[in-house]
Amino acid sequence: MDAASLYKSLDEPDKADHLWRYTPWRRVHPSGDLNEIPIAASPKITLSCLDDSVALVGISVEEGVVGAEVLPESDEVTASFIRAAAKESVYTLRVEKNFIANSPIVLDIDTGDSNCAIHLTLDIGRNCEFELITQISGAAPWTGFLRTGRIGDGSILNDVVIGHTDSGVLLRVDSIAIGRDAQVKAGTVSSGSARTKADLRYKMGETGGHLNVLGSILSASDMHLDHHIEIHHDAPETFSRLDWHSACGGNSRTVGTGMLRVAKGARGADAGQLFHNLLLSEKAEADAIPELEVSEHDVVGCGHGTANGPVDEDQMFYLESRGFDTEEAKDALIAAFLNSTLVEMGSDTLHNWLAEHLQDELDDLKS
Amino acid sequence: MATDIPVLEISNLHAGIDDTPILRGIELEVPAGEIHAIMGRNGSGKTTTANIIMGHPDFEVTDGGVELNGENLLEMEPWERARAGVFLSFQYPQAVPGLQVGNFLRKSVAAIRGEDEAKGAEFRKRLKDAMTELDIDRSFLGRYVNDGFSGGEKKRFEILQLMLLQPKLAILDETDSGLDIDGIRTVAKGINAAIRGTDSGALIITHYSRILEHVQPDKVHVLIKGRIVKSGGPELALELEERGYEWLEKEAEKSA
Repeated sequence: MDAASLYKSLDEPDKADHLWRYTPWRRVHPSGDLNEIPIAASPKITLSCLDDSVALVGISVEEGVVGAEVLPESDEVTASFIRAAAKESVYTLRVEKNFIANSPIVLDIDTGDSNCAIHLTLDIGRNCEFELITQISGAAPWTGFLRTGRIGDGSILNDVVIGHTDSGVLLRVDSIAIGRDAQVKAGTVSSGSARTKADLRYKMGETGGHLNVLGSILSASDMHLDHHIEIHHDAPETFSRLDWHSACGGNSRTVGTGMLRVAKGARGADAGQLFHNLLLSEKAEADAIPELEVSEHDVVGCGHGTANGPVDEDQMFYLESRGFDTEEAKDALIAAFLNSTLVEMGSDTLHNWLAEHLQDELDDLKS
Repeated sequence: MATDIPVLEISNLHAGIDDTPILRGIELEVPAGEIHAIMGRNGSGKTTTANIIMGHPDFEVTDGGVELNGENLLEMEPWERARAGVFLSFQYPQAVPGLQVGNFLRKSVAAIRGEDEAKGAEFRKRLKDAMTELDIDRSFLGRYVNDGFSGGEKKRFEILQLMLLQPKLAILDETDSGLDIDGIRTVAKGINAAIRGTDSGALIITHYSRILEHVQPDKVHVLIKGRIVKSGGPELALELEERGYEWLEKEAEKSA
């Protein structure tokens, strides 16, 4: 069955489902007419290196190549919908085995100004070691971005996706398998779009996988940013941590829902998830719902937690006693809060780049 | 150059928290170039005094005044007081995960001493010299403010800020607590370097006399139940070390 037929055969998702509790499908569909699949344009894609003196050898983006299948653990509605919308917009990021880059690789995705969809497959060979910044920008009223694929055995990848479209809706789906002994940091920096719905799923189906999922989310005005993260421990000796920081101001709302599934037989799994929300105004709203499903008794640990609160008054006083005026102190604390996860996403070079980006976004929100 | 106007003048200060009075008429003057010590038991009002001078929003001043070089501090916000020249070394400095020490110091020096003072080779040299004096490793600059610092590291970091910010008035709240003797010597060296021979003044708040062996105070004041009940020279600290506070508490009760 092709993607469009599959999508049309499915029922409208139920709000009782963890994934759809806070942002119904109807609100992130491009038109609201659920039977309609838009003709979406292809984005403009550019691959470069942050250090422009580095030649891109062993890494490339191939157009029109049918990529990896969506994992069975992923949501069928969103994945089939984006696949159908992106049938003319299929790409593969192919990375040869043993590829190593000392400076972050940048994949720019410019959505343009009309509805846009892309299905990108990550085909990352074994024993690679690099950092990837995927930056989605543009003025499309609706953007669908699906990533499928596999991180090769023994590879070390710092993978950061930055969503800062001007406005509109961003529907983002990750459906990614982590190879044996691969070490992956999957970062999300989200500070754009009027509405974001992200469904990020990672499957650790082979032993020794090590995954850190990190989020730095900044919402303001009337933005609505909803991220759902699922981590599947299907193999023994797999490790994951989810650390998600959302700073929420104006009338905006952030949602973070997490699901850790540890399958029977995933002995020695070690998993944890934490959601922190910083509320910057009385009207801002933040929800964080971590959930666990553990079917294996012999685990190192499985934990979850949430923390919500306004800016800490003692921290404010400390900074004010050092000459920061009230606004400067608040800005510094918001930046620090988001930086706590940003700094974990990769190298100093990557962090400095991300920190600059974040500061620009903070300045933009104030202007 | 010393002037007749004291760096700090506290007159008839009454203050409290949530309608509970804590300070009951403090009178205190710290002239330029002098280091004074306030000693007292836990709960006597020492930290409250420090917080009120810095402008902590939880405390309410019900009467009296606090002036810095003749300027009314009580009308200023905490950050305005910092920029006017008040520095408080906290008993328990706040951790700010995510805020790098290097950035924090640059912003703080820029806010208090001006942008020009916070950049260039001269700033870097002052920073390096102060860190060397306090035996602080360069890697410190990449860490987050007080995040995961040991007790001694927190206190040394407070004194590093004191040395860089060069305030008119330094209030050191229990800076010696949690420090071993080497730490006290190092911190004392920093305090002496920042205050002695300058127009600045300092108020050392302490429970013990240990730090006063290394930072010789010009005056020692004893605070009991929100009032200064006795003032004297450095010998008063030694007397308190030998005799404790009970005799003064009895004297205070008699005169109350």
